Amino acid sequence: MRYDAVIVGGGLAGLTAGISLQKAGKKTAIVSTGQNALYFFSGCFESIQEPTPEILSLFSEAGVRVHYTPGVRLMPMGTFKESALALDDVSLFPAPDFGKKVLIINFMAYHDFFSSFLAQGLEKQGMECRIRFLNLGDLAQPELGPNQMRAVQIARKLDDVWEKVVQEVRVLLKDEDTVVLPQVFGLNDASIPERIRQGIPARVVFAGTLPPSVPGIRTQNLLKKRYEVLGGTYLLGDRVTGAHVYEDVVQNVVTKQLDRHYLEADHFILASGSFFSKGLSSNPFKIYEPLFELDMDYDTDRNTWYDPTFANHQPYLGFGVKTDAEFHPSRHGVPVKNLYVIGSILGETHPELGSGAGLAIRSALQVTQLITGKP
Amino acid sequence: MRVPDCSVDPFRLCAANMLDAKLHGGQVRLQTEVTGILREGNTVKGIRTHNRNTGADQEFYAPIVVNAGGVWGQELAQMAGIKVGMFPAKGSLLIFAHRVNNMVINRCRKPSNADILVPGDTVCIVGTTSSRIPLEECRNVAVTPDEVTLLITEGMKLAPRLASTRILRAYAGVRPLVSADDDPSGRNISRGIVCLDHEVRDGVKGLITITGGKLTSYRLMAEMATDLVCKKLGVDKACETAIHPLPGSEEGSYEEVAKKIWENPTTAQKVAAARMGSRVSRIRSTDRRDEALICECEQVTMGEINSAIDRLEASTLTDLRRRTRVGMGTCQGEFCACRAAGLLAKAHGCIEKERADIDYFLQERWKGNFPIGWGDTLREAEYTQWVYKHVLGI
Repeated sequence: MRYDAVIVGGGLAGLTAGISLQKAGKKTAIVSTGQNALYFFSGCFESIQEPTPEILSLFSEAGVRVHYTPGVRLMPMGTFKESALALDDVSLFPAPDFGKKVLIINFMAYHDFFSSFLAQGLEKQGMECRIRFLNLGDLAQPELGPNQMRAVQIARKLDDVWEKVVQEVRVLLKDEDTVVLPQVFGLNDASIPERIRQGIPARVVFAGTLPPSVPGIRTQNLLKKRYEVLGGTYLLGDRVTGAHVYEDVVQNVVTKQLDRHYLEADHFILASGSFFSKGLSSNPFKIYEPLFELDMDYDTDRNTWYDPTFANHQPYLGFGVKTDAEFHPSRHGVPVKNLYVIGSILGETHPELGSGAGLAIRSALQVTQLITGKP
Repeated sequence: MRVPDCSVDPFRLCAANMLDAKLHGGQVRLQTEVTGILREGNTVKGIRTHNRNTGADQEFYAPIVVNAGGVWGQELAQMAGIKVGMFPAKGSLLIFAHRVNNMVINRCRKPSNADILVPGDTVCIVGTTSSRIPLEECRNVAVTPDEVTLLITEGMKLAPRLASTRILRAYAGVRPLVSADDDPSGRNISRGIVCLDHEVRDGVKGLITITGGKLTSYRLMAEMATDLVCKKLGVDKACETAIHPLPGSEEGSYEEVAKKIWENPTTAQKVAAARMGSRVSRIRSTDRRDEALICECEQVTMGEINSAIDRLEASTLTDLRRRTRVGMGTCQGEFCACRAAGLLAKAHGCIEKERADIDYFLQERWKGNFPIGWGDTLREAEYTQWVYKHVLGI
């Protein structure tokens, strides 16, 4: 099977590249194992301080509702972090002391939402907090068992009965100006968080939970759908297991499911993620990129990979595939002409592109430009 | 030739001993640091303590003080003006993520490094090393890269399979080696159990020290110490701990225990029975919510955690880790730390304390992960960094 571009990895970087290339008239395929960093997305697009029109339309055209409001957001453990571009679910405030009296709502037996830590953080900002628990079993049958109380299972139930939650909150609400809810709404319907806001006569703040991230999965699904609507082929549940490189040109890649049906393309984009996603691998002696054996930028002395203090920045998080100004990697010093590398697999080798979501989106858009030759 | 080896769960052993003492009327005070030994002339009258939880200082009086402080025994004796020479010897070990053996495997040679591969619970452990360290370092022992390399290399000779087995954690402990004499170089280390009657040795009444030995001889050491205490108090009773089983160990295997309590025990119920023995009947509950898994890696339910908080003096994440194995699995506290902290906060009411507890717990877990920070360990570490810093905001 031949494509204009084959993209290894279907997360934020891979999908951004795929969507932009399809829009530019290119025929592409994405190979994805199924999960990626969006599954623990906080809802904030890190390191995007000033979104370009291109970035904003990437989201709006996919139905991903975002807002650009430089400020701070409330983190699940009651702290605050500076952010600028975020999903609709995530409120951004000019300052941490955004309210006076807060009603925090959680579900009984839901251990992944930290209402007491949130309350403590808000009290530090001078707010008065009251925590109340809803019984999800009362709102949606059959009841979830104690070990099914995880964000995604709850969200699936709530997609049907979120209006009942709104009713309960309205009954519980006294004189609070703010209601804090867990981010377990709108798994399959991006309009639900806004509709919840409209139904509650107070400021509504959705605070995050332990992964999986409901807003993250929603975003992943919307972007994938957009990609497919544009004609892209998303090979879900497959994994690239090898590549044939001849004379510094990638001829094709091999996938587990497609076996001998190699994927051929003019251009290949590696967006396979960092260590957790297995885009980068490690053993006691080295850090390496397992698919193409690409040259890496890191220190071979293992003792330099870590900072013994957990809270400090960890050097290994900065390691990534070495690329030139046009995102071409090299093998033993020789650039691979038709291979591009984008996203978190770059580590901190392109600090000008930022980190996290910013790195994924910017590198993907720049590589799209390079491939299509259009600005 | 066969050696009758077995392995023991040291956490369960410790908890059971503590519980046994309480059941016989003893008081257990955790997070209580001895800050001084009260001495009147040549007689020890009691101890001064500082409670790390409440910040309160308190004195306790007794005719006999038993110094069973392990490697800190030297400091404790010093508080009474007595010199007990200790030469701490650090030993490092590696925990592998799953068992490669079901029997203990020993090197048949003179004692040396990495001689033994011990299975236990869901893991196996290879050890150990031995290096003298200064007393000051005892509060913060670290596994060095050289020790990791040595343990892997030697370990592979015991079981080649270890070369491809995920390493879960590296850890180090300190042996309290006691000097047999006054030689400061510590060339003469006492082998075996050391029981010091300071009235005889140093002319100071009301204080004894019990130290040296090994984990396997702990009960005998306690018997020797209590025989001496009884002699001094004029109590004419024989020690019975050799005959009576510890609480929870009366009945059969953990599977049998679990089946008696729950007809069809879940994995979580079975491993709880392995951790607690027949005491596990305490966590049987009619409230389904008690079955919620707080730690998925080690299958620790909310019921078990609340039981440890209520009955086993657990007031920090580290306490919970020791009593229930929370945070000891492959994720090394990634998810369970915050969940368990929430339960602790609910129990003792101080959120601020639990925030600090989470930080401390994560740092302690990291200490044992980065020395073996490659492969899946590095993947989990990266994930933990992202979740705690970018998702949760710690």
